[in-house]
Parts: sequence; C-alpha cells; structure tokens
Amino acid sequence: MEKTIDQICADALKEIETAKSKDSLNAVSLKYLSRKGIVTQFLRSISKLPPEERPKAGERANETKRLLEKAVEDAINSLDARSPAADSFIDVSLPGRSALPGSLHPITQITRQICDIFTRMGFDIAEGPEVESDYYNFEALNIPKYHPARDMQDTFYVSDNIVLRTHTSPIQVRVMEKRKPPLKVIAPGKVYRSDSDITHTPMFHQVEGLMVGENISFGNLKGILSNFVHLMFDEKTSLRFRPSFFPFTEPSAEVDILCVMCRGKGCRVCSHTGWLEVLGAGMVHPAVFENVGYDTSRITGFAFGMGVERITMLKYGIDDIRKFFENDFRFLRQF
Amino acid sequence: MKVSLSWLKDYVRIETDIHDLTSALTMAGLEVESIADPFDYLEKVVVGRIIEIKPHPNAGNLKICRVDAGDRILQVVCGAPNVKENLLAPLALPGTVLPDGSLLAECEIRGQTSEGMLCSERELELGEDGSGIMVLPGNLQAGCNIARAIGLSDYVLEIGLTPNRSDCLSVIGIAREIAAIQKFKIKYPDVRRPGKNKEIFDFTSVKIEAPEHCPRYAAALVADITVAPSPFWLRKRLISVGQRPINNIVDITNFIMLECGQPLHAFDFDLLAENRIVVRTATKGETFITLDRKERTLDPDMLMICDGKKPAAIAGVMGGLNSEIGSSTKRVLIESAYFNPLSIRKTSKKTGLSTEASYRFERGVDPGGTVKALVRAAGLVTEIGKGKSIKGIIDEYPLIQKTETIELSISATGRVLGTELDKSTIKSLLESIEFKVKNSGADTIKVTPPSFRVDIARPVDLMEEAARLYGYNRIPASLPLMQSETTQPLKTLALRENIKNIMTGLSFTETVNYSFICESSCDRLNLSSDDPKRRLLHVLNPLTEEQNVMRTSLVPGLLETMHRNLSQQTRNLNIFETGKMFLSKGNESLPEEIEMAAGLMTGGRYSQSWYENDADCDFYDIKGAVEGLLAGLNIDNVRFTKMPVELCSYTRYGYSAQIIAENKTIGIIGEVHPEVLGNFDLKQKAFIFELNCNTVLSLSGRDKTAGQLPKFPASTRDITIITDKNIEAMSVLEKINSIGEKLIENTHLFDIFEGASIPAGKRSVSIRITYRSSEKTLEDGEVNNIHKNITDRLTMEFGASLPV
Repeated sequence: MEKTIDQICADALKEIETAKSKDSLNAVSLKYLSRKGIVTQFLRSISKLPPEERPKAGERANETKRLLEKAVEDAINSLDARSPAADSFIDVSLPGRSALPGSLHPITQITRQICDIFTRMGFDIAEGPEVESDYYNFEALNIPKYHPARDMQDTFYVSDNIVLRTHTSPIQVRVMEKRKPPLKVIAPGKVYRSDSDITHTPMFHQVEGLMVGENISFGNLKGILSNFVHLMFDEKTSLRFRPSFFPFTEPSAEVDILCVMCRGKGCRVCSHTGWLEVLGAGMVHPAVFENVGYDTSRITGFAFGMGVERITMLKYGIDDIRKFFENDFRFLRQF
Repeated sequence: MKVSLSWLKDYVRIETDIHDLTSALTMAGLEVESIADPFDYLEKVVVGRIIEIKPHPNAGNLKICRVDAGDRILQVVCGAPNVKENLLAPLALPGTVLPDGSLLAECEIRGQTSEGMLCSERELELGEDGSGIMVLPGNLQAGCNIARAIGLSDYVLEIGLTPNRSDCLSVIGIAREIAAIQKFKIKYPDVRRPGKNKEIFDFTSVKIEAPEHCPRYAAALVADITVAPSPFWLRKRLISVGQRPINNIVDITNFIMLECGQPLHAFDFDLLAENRIVVRTATKGETFITLDRKERTLDPDMLMICDGKKPAAIAGVMGGLNSEIGSSTKRVLIESAYFNPLSIRKTSKKTGLSTEASYRFERGVDPGGTVKALVRAAGLVTEIGKGKSIKGIIDEYPLIQKTETIELSISATGRVLGTELDKSTIKSLLESIEFKVKNSGADTIKVTPPSFRVDIARPVDLMEEAARLYGYNRIPASLPLMQSETTQPLKTLALRENIKNIMTGLSFTETVNYSFICESSCDRLNLSSDDPKRRLLHVLNPLTEEQNVMRTSLVPGLLETMHRNLSQQTRNLNIFETGKMFLSKGNESLPEEIEMAAGLMTGGRYSQSWYENDADCDFYDIKGAVEGLLAGLNIDNVRFTKMPVELCSYTRYGYSAQIIAENKTIGIIGEVHPEVLGNFDLKQKAFIFELNCNTVLSLSGRDKTAGQLPKFPASTRDITIITDKNIEAMSVLEKINSIGEKLIENTHLFDIFEGASIPAGKRSVSIRITYRSSEKTLEDGEVNNIHKNITDRLTMEFGASLPV
C-alpha cells in the first residue's frame, strides 16, 4: 500500500517536471489532485484499511497531496517567470493602496530652510513669548514710549504695558539677559502688527538673528548674510546694503537682493527697481547692550531680521500674503 | 516726504540724470520710493488762442469760440465771462482726465459741437480761481503743452524717510544730502540777520511759562498786509508737492516749512487779546476750537499758545479758529518755535491730530534754525503780502539746546565697520554734511554735529554717517571668527517639528490659523461660564471684532478653516496645527502661553477608490492618527477614557475621550458636538483632537534600551467572550494584563461583533494572547491551562459568557 502512494508521487513529479506549458501542468493537477484525481481517490480508499494503519497512511497521503500542490504551483510560477503569458498580469497603473502624506505649511517649510542654514553656521535657536511686555518689545530695544520710531510698527495693545510682540527682537534681549557673550542665536516666530492688505497680514512670521562677541563687525554681518542669501536663493543672487534706521541697531541697513524674478532687469515684483528688500539689519545699538549689562567697550554684535512670508512668496511665487492664513486645502496641497 | 527736482535746484546744482540721482539718494539712506510728474494729468492740455467769438444760437450765456490749438482750429463752447478774442488760455483736448476725475470727450452743447474745453485755474487745480478761464501770458505759443509752457513739468521724488532723519523733512535738507553726495556746495537762501532795532516790543511780548515744553519761541510782526491768493510761483511749489494753496500768508508759512523744515504759524494779530503771546500748558478740561472747526478738550500736559486771555493754538499741532488768518487780516504775528518733541508727540497722540507741523516737531526740528526761518518768512510776508515789517524780532530762548561734541576713535570705527577708514577719509566724509571735526589725539577726532542733526548722540552714530557716505557696499564682507557655546536644542521646538513630521506622514496637512479669534468663539464652543478657556486676553485695538481676543483653543481656527474649505467644495480634510493658546492672567501681566497641537478630520476616509468603498471617517480614524502620533513621539501606555460630561462642551458626549499618559491628561479627542457644528455653520461631522504639548513634554517617554530578542517560539491562543456592550473592550485587555501572568507576552484585540447570534445589549470581544517563555519552548498543555484560567477569570470578572 505504501509503495503505491510513493509510486503515485514519483509519477506525478515526473509529469510535472516534463510539463512544458501551463495547460499541461493544469492537466497534471487535474489528473492527480482534483476531486476525482488519483491522490484524492487514494485518500478515500484509506477508510478501507485496517484501523491501525489508517493514521499513518492518511498522514502520508496528505503530505503527498501538499507536496504535489506546491510542485504544480512552483512550476507554474517558474513558467510565468521565464515566459510571461498574456493572460497573467496586473494593472500596474492602478493607484496604490497606501495613503499619501500630508503637506507642511509653506511657512513651516521655509522657516526650516532658514533655520537649517543658520544652525549649520553655528547659530542656536531661541524662542520667546508672543505676548510681550512693553519693556522687551520696545524699551529695552531703545524705543522709548512716545518715540516716533513706534510709528514704524502698528502695535496691537493688550494694555498700556502689554503688547502682542511686533517683532521677534525681544528674544534678543531675553537671550542676552540670560547668557554671556559670545553668542550666536536666531529666533523664529509669529509676530503681530495691525495692518491688513495684499502685502500685510495682522499676524506673520519673522526670523531674527543675533551674533555678539568681541570684534564682530559690520563686514561680518555682510559676510553672514551673503552666505545666507546664497544658500537660500543661489550663488548668483547678489546683495546690496542700504543705510536705514532701526532704533536698536547703529549703523543700520536694509538688505536688498537682486530680484529673483527678473534678475535685476526690473519687473512688477520688484516695482521695476531690480531689487527686493528682504532683510533689516545692523550693528547692535550700545543702548541695547547697556540694558542687558554688556560691556560696550569690549562687545560688539550684529542683528538682523527677515519676514518669512516675504521670502516664501518669492521662493514659491505667491502673490497674496493672505493666502497663507486662509488655509485653502487646494493652496496648501501645492507645497 | 515729497520734493520736486526743480525746487531742489534752487539750492544745489544737479547735473546727473534723475535715475542716477535717485539711486544715489537711496544708497545714502534716503530711499526714493517713487518718481512722478505731478502735472502729468495736464498731458492733453495745450495753450489755446481764442481767435473768434460768436454767440451761441441756442443759449444766451454761452459762446462759441474758434480756438487755435497749434496744428488745427477747434470749435469750443464756453460760458466763461472773461473770454476775449486773442486771449491765451488752457485748452483741454478730448481724452484729458480732469483733476475731478471726469473724462473730457468731444460733445454737443445745446446743439453745437465742442471739441475741447477752455479751463479755469480751479478746473486744472492750478489755483482757487474758478470765476473764469485762466489767462495765460501772451508770449506763449498756441498748441504747446501747458505744463511745459508755464514750467510746470517736473520730477517729484517721494522719499521714505526713517524717523531719525528729521533734518531731511525739508527741501533744503534733501539738497544738503545731494550736495554731500555730489561734492557740490549748497546755496542757502539769503537771510539777513535781524537788526538792532526792537520796534516789535512796542507792539507785543512773548512770555514762556513752560520752558521745558517750549525751550525757544520767536515771533515777528508784519502790518498792513493784504491777504490774497499767492503768486503763481509759490502756488506751483506747493502744488508740486501736494499742498493746497490757501492764501498768501498761510502759503508762505507752509512754503518755509517745506523749504527748511521749520513749521511756522501765523496769527491774526488783531484777534489776539492784549496783543501778546503767553506759552503755557492747558488747564484741565479747558476747551478749544482748532482750525478744522472741531472742539477739543485739553489736558494739563498739552502746551498751548495763548494770547493775554485764552488759548490761540495747540502748540506745534494746530492753530485755533479764533485767530485764523482771513481776508480782513491786516497785521500778522508769525511764530517760529522749538518745542519739546516729546511734548508735541504726546499732545498729537492725545488729540489724535497729526499735522505736517506736529510730524516735524515730534521728530525734532533744528533748534538753531528758529530765527532764520522766521526772518525769511517775515521778509516774504512783507514782500508778497505788500505789508510793512515791524522792525526786530522777539526771540525767547530760556532753555538753550546744546549740541554735544563727540569723541570718535578711528580704530574703533574700523573695528565696528570691519574695514579701515583713515582719519582724513572719515574727516572729509563728516565735513561734507556740515559736521565740525577737530583732531584730538593720534587715534581720535572731536566731532560737533550741526544743530539740525538732532539724531547724532554717540560715536556709533558718527560711524554710521561715515559708513553710509563712504558706501555700505564698499565695506568688504568677511566671515567672523568666533567661538560660542552651543546649547541644547529647544525641547519645545524639537517636539513641535517632530509632531509636524509625524502628522504629515499620517496624511494630515498643516494649517496656520490666526492667533486671534472672535470673542464669541467661546459661546460657539458651548463653553460653560467657568471654563478656563474663557480666560480671554482681549486686544485693545483689534482690526476687526472677528479678531478681538487671543485664542484659548486651536479648535475654532480649525473649524473655521473647515468651513472655508467646505465652501470651496473641498469636503475631505485631514488638517492639523501646532501653536500657542493664551490664557489670560489679567491685562497687566503676561498670559500663560501653552503650546498645543490639534487636528481635525472630516468627510471621506478615503476618496472613492478601486479597492475601497466610499466611507466617511469616524472616531477611530482620528484616534488611529493620534495613536500613531503618540507612538511616533515614543509615548507608551496611553489610555483613552470616556470623557466626563462636564468636560466635553464642544465634543459629543459618549463619542469623545480624554487622552491619558502617566496619569496625566495630555489631551482630548472626539466627535465635534452637533450643536457646535451648527454654531460654526458646518453641515457634516468632524472629529478633532487637542494635545497639550507642555504636558507631553513633561512625560518621561519610552526608555530606549535594547532588550534580548526571544530565543524560544511563542504560542498563541484566541479567546472570545460575550459581555455587556457598555464594558470597554480595553478594560478586558487591562484585566488580562493585570493578572500578572509572566508567560503572557502580548494581548491583542482582533474582533468585536454585535448582532445576529449575540443577544441584544451584548457583544463579543475576541482577543489573541501570545504566550512565550524566555527559558524553553512552551508545551501545549501548560499554555492551555493558563489560557483556561484566564478565560475563567474573565467570564467571572465581567459576567461574560462564552460563545456557543
């Protein structure tokens, strides 16, 4: 009896081996494994054996059945692999089952790029409160009450002495109060000004930078900012520094970059000047150092600040700043 | 600040091209924001010569003129009383846009064609006279453009001045900068020093009672004047920079202010009680009517210019109606003063009045230029007003404004700028803008800035002056050598960025909503009256009432974003935001700022696809996302427990949970309450979560140490029990884990079933338990025994039954 099943097995394997096509393999499968196939018949016949032989025979027969099934399947697969048949394929153009990732807000993406460039240059990142005291937002930055420079920033007030920060510059002061020079810090974050039109929103984002130590010069400020602009835009983007005024820096500068749209030829984006104003900067005013107790005879430093929305608009060609906060899914999904 | 090129040329030679000039000014710190021709609206207005006049056949008061327009003769219907043959007048051709905005076209007037329009001064905004057509000098050529013919064509530069440069709030100030840039000399207007004769004291006096508010006050008097329209050259100057001419006296004071930056005021001397000036602060509650005919209530901080009895002007801000120059004015007292900038700024802020005068005073006018401006004005008033000058001036100067001399180190200048400028270079740069420079040591110079540079106080100010005139762009860029300590990265920042990465990986898109929301959001969120989220921080001066408080939750912003997107037919949203919420501690202290992360899901789970039927997302979708987020943040053993009814004002009771880790509530999750959806005008279900990042940061998180991997195989057994529906499935798992059986490696819920074969109010809970020993391969019998024990414990503990 045992011999028979082994014989069946050997015959079947030989036939599988010699089969050259899928059809002939299916025929082998039908011959041995179908309901009326030889192996199946054999299994049915086990009930006629003496009870003590049945388990062993059954086990053996089942084993053979599994072995042959596997052999047929493998043979079909290897046939497929060698010579693809016209009727065996999937539609690879159907979309996959996995969910697509969401997108980061463009402001997040550009803030990260900015922060990455500066952290690679050795700057730490600091943050601070968004609701600030008048002291940190203005006084400590050399902007006393009733100073006309307060008109430069339309301020949201919570009370006479509490404001929504109008810039991330208060973080400068908070950092310098806690740490001794030398230091290199950037401060990203939300800021608030009561202004709203196609180029202004009452909330926007800034990145402020500060580098303080001995012998830090205006030339160094130019070096660091040139480096930044070249990495943020490209090597061909030239910079120009224009004298300007900020109460907390002296000398102060506005930094323009060659228009990234027209490369200086003049276009709508740069108001036909060929230049785009992207940064405010300068040497930290001695009055600010005095407020944090630094020795102004020894310590110098520079500070700079930029609007993230402005840079994002230039990088991504966005024409209306309000789009950032409308959060239209169709807008956000483009980034 | 507007300034015209032709006006500048009165004081400085300008030979460069206008574009080179403006770019040089910009690079010296005076940013030219625009260049315009103020009279470009006159492009299609030409000089017309009236060659023939005939009466209009259908209108008695109209005439038909044949007008020579140079290249052709036009027929123009005109009603002006002063039309005469051979008269030259401005002829506006069809296509002209008049200053009032109307577009001129060829038309028919009472049946007669009119091919243009003869204009009055007023129609062209060249003067006040609207009584008849403007009569032009007879030597002009018909057909010439009018702006060119009478010398109006000009460039007007709009300069964006920074608040420190009050010295440039005048044409002379800008001319001074141009002179320095071009290395030409500036030509100041001739002003004679006042003579010794003090006849003026016979007529009037000035008494300064508040010298700290008014350090200097000078006055001059002119009698027998005639108030009339200003001569054309004066009107032209004012109009070119956007000022409206009023009358000769007022125009002269404005002209001098624009020319040299010193605001002046002219009083009708005969309307001043006791014919004298008293400079004092107001008394509390005093009222006063300003020139704009508004009554102002004064307070004791405000400086007033008074006569013998009453206020006549708010000092430095606006004059009073009671002493206004009018057509019958015969004698004028001209004021030229130096007021304390802070005092003027306070008054301007308090009264809400900002004028050309207050703008200059609060930034600081030249305390050394008070008298010069006065004398020049008095001279012009005498000349143009055809008056008689009363000899002498009054110059009360109780608080002398000193200009400090500053010592500047040449080497320090080099260190700060990062480039070596030698002494003579610095000296000549500073001298070019009228600073006085003396050598004081090998490395130092002593610099005295001119009195008009009130912004110069420290050596760094001088460094900036030298640098800007030298050219910022000539300073070489260099990279600093500096060692500084590096600090640990900010934990809050790292967490926030991590959350953003994980959430986008989980298919959520980041939004950024405004930090301010509408006060009514609290009610719309159904917050109870004592909810801490009602601790609102109010903004005193919001742009709109929709943004009048700082947010105490990120949820309103997300719901509004959902609303905006639904209205754009975007129905399926997975969005999140990180940011601060603000809990007020009263308006006089900084609020508590809490970093939050929140998310919202609404609409379809998937967009309809080939492999999945359309289905709307539900609680378990957002829960899955939160579980994924927390797992990504290495936070283990998170429990979601049913939200107590009193804690879920904006989520639906029974469909929301608290998120708990290490016994701290780190957030909430759930379906938005249907009423709240209604309040936000939303018509489909939404699911939200909120996590408090500060609390998440306080968690210790998963300990990352490598453990041994198992050596022996595991055995799994399934168990299905039928429990009451209200028994939380996870409590069954927790029960199993609490038994403390050491061989249990893992428990996993793999099925929940209600219906058909299960009795009502019950459901089946199926759990797969993985058993494993670290010492041996477990035998079936051993596992079966343990599994049976556990099954028995569960059926007993939960009153559960086993499936049949």
